[in-house]
Amino acid sequence: MLRCTILGAGALGSHLILLLRNEPLELTVIDFDHVDSKNVLSQFHPRGMVGKLKTNAIQQTMQFLYGTKLTTRPVRLNDGNCDVLFNDAGLVIDCLDNAPSRLLVQTGVRLRRIPCLHGALAADGAYGRACWDEKFVVDEGAAGAPTCEDGRHLPFIALVSAYLARSVQEFAATGRKVGFEVSPFGAVAT
Amino acid sequence: MDGHDNIQLIDPNLARVNVTYGGQNGELIDPVAFDASEADVRAWVTEALRTGGIPGIPASPNADITGYVVERFAPTEARAWAAIFCRPKAEFGAAR
Repeated sequence: MLRCTILGAGALGSHLILLLRNEPLELTVIDFDHVDSKNVLSQFHPRGMVGKLKTNAIQQTMQFLYGTKLTTRPVRLNDGNCDVLFNDAGLVIDCLDNAPSRLLVQTGVRLRRIPCLHGALAADGAYGRACWDEKFVVDEGAAGAPTCEDGRHLPFIALVSAYLARSVQEFAATGRKVGFEVSPFGAVAT
Repeated sequence: MDGHDNIQLIDPNLARVNVTYGGQNGELIDPVAFDASEADVRAWVTEALRTGGIPGIPASPNADITGYVVERFAPTEARAWAAIFCRPKAEFGAAR
């Protein structure tokens, strides 16, 4: 069974976990943050989980709703813990929210030759990506409001998450690395 | 992001240019050289955006793609044609 490590249980990460629940995958979720009230608008975290670690929140939610078991690591990724966190991963999925962390992931997976899929959103719900690491260049200095600041872009977040899940599903089943460039009006496979 | 019925007619050295701007998406009507310079691609896209030359994106006389990313993808199994994407930066994923 493919072991997937998902970095970030926020807008993309939490919905990705929801959509991968039927796949034959062992999911590990890494996030150091807590659920706050605004997260509930755009992330798959119920209101009752506000204040809890996102890893614990998604673990409990998935167990309660679907009986899905997740392994969780409530830590912040850094130079020193990549070895431990990526050690047994057959696939790393980056659902982080900032360029420095993405660069850290990219360095870590390339050093260890681990397949990696990056999920990303442009500001204001204008664009999204499910991009395999071989083709991924980290965008820096994006202007505008994060797409998950409020609930307006929830459908688009879910759309990009679905393309991420489809990429994972294809990779797990066939080994093919199909990515997607996603606009609010559709997607092109890459 | 459709209308690729005649894609097999495109020269393998050419690429379709897909543009996302102002929440809308479309493609330049004509393909361009896959190895066209970034400055040329930006100029063509800007001109097309300002004059309404991209089906699906209304003309925007003051269109400005400063800060946008121009990215190239060779053909793959899943997409038989080369593509150049002109898109907003995508840095976020899980805003706190």
